[in-house]
Amino acid sequence: MRLQINIVSIAVIALLSGTVAAQNANTQSQHSGHSPDSVDSDSAHAQHEQAGAGHHHEGHAGSPDGGVPEATDNIAMLTVTDAIEAALSKGGEPIVADVLGVVCDFCALAMNKIFGKRDEVAALYVDLDTKALSLVLKPGASLSNEAIADLAIQAGYRVADVRRGKEALGDVS
Amino acid sequence: MRGLALLLLVTSGLIGQPTLARPVSYAGGWTVVEESDRQSSSLFVHYSPASNWSIGPRVEVNRDADYALYSINPTWLAKRWFGSDYQANLYLHAGAGLAAGINQNPLEDDFAIQGGVMADWETRSLFVGYRSRYLDAGRFGDQFSHAARLGFAPYVGDTGDLHTWLMLEIDHRPEAKDTVTAAPVIRLFKGPLLLEAGYNLTAKQPLFNFTYRF
Repeated sequence: MRLQINIVSIAVIALLSGTVAAQNANTQSQHSGHSPDSVDSDSAHAQHEQAGAGHHHEGHAGSPDGGVPEATDNIAMLTVTDAIEAALSKGGEPIVADVLGVVCDFCALAMNKIFGKRDEVAALYVDLDTKALSLVLKPGASLSNEAIADLAIQAGYRVADVRRGKEALGDVS
Repeated sequence: MRGLALLLLVTSGLIGQPTLARPVSYAGGWTVVEESDRQSSSLFVHYSPASNWSIGPRVEVNRDADYALYSINPTWLAKRWFGSDYQANLYLHAGAGLAAGINQNPLEDDFAIQGGVMADWETRSLFVGYRSRYLDAGRFGDQFSHAARLGFAPYVGDTGDLHTWLMLEIDHRPEAKDTVTAAPVIRLFKGPLLLEAGYNLTAKQPLFNFTYRF
């Protein structure tokens, strides 16, 4: 009897649930982007704490075209770490991607592993406080928004919005 | 009955094994999971070909009944809900392999299957989780168990910090001597490493879990 109850409950849940693959198919990105050389969570975090309070601007980050249940309430700017600062100084394009579902270090690890493999990326940092992925591309490299969204899916997450250039640095004028 | 169960598990797409922390990784990720509770100890290594499923070998020693399970356990992330401040998951898990006696247990080896559901909802400071498992270990017997967890983080750490969680696990095993038990657990989480230590207040048994992801 227990077996039957267990299997029935599993089957019902499976029927009621969509698959991640289906979710992924519905995900649409809005912009375009690139990939990193180094990821150092501890040193990056130290820098982040120093950079501190100036990371958020009040306002709405916007939402993706479909399939995303919520958008972030704050607009995250690029988190400046040693590696990101060095990559910026070489002329790499800054990108900030708002990522949904990032709540723990395993999430950050997944993003680091997936994006860190890309040749286009000079530096990256996943900020749990702002729920944002900060990327700086190598000079001349490009990474489309669709590619960023696909990479986030490979990591198990979704991108809600992508900002580039001055917008990623907080210059919205 | 066992054949029917296996057929249903396979045909309903069930794959997986209950673990306490994210049983599916990023595409290409490996995870090592050790778990030890009031009844058994286990070691599980899984690989995620994609971000919605994982598979790997698992060894579990049932200390009470003196047998070991050697199985292949797939896990399917059936659904993930995303929010800017939360993540929720529904997993289906299963496994198939061999049950073998240990410590002079005279019973002969037998085929074993298992399956169940895991679900969790988590923010950076709150956690709610549930998992169930039905195990049919052939002549070593069958067992249903399920457990729920509530947890909170006394502080919110940023990327790379040491994250600390205080949790309470309620475990229900209808055929066990103590059918319902409670275990306070402390979870320490930093980067790729997650450690959990607890004590089952009812069964007076320690609990220790370890997860490493790479």
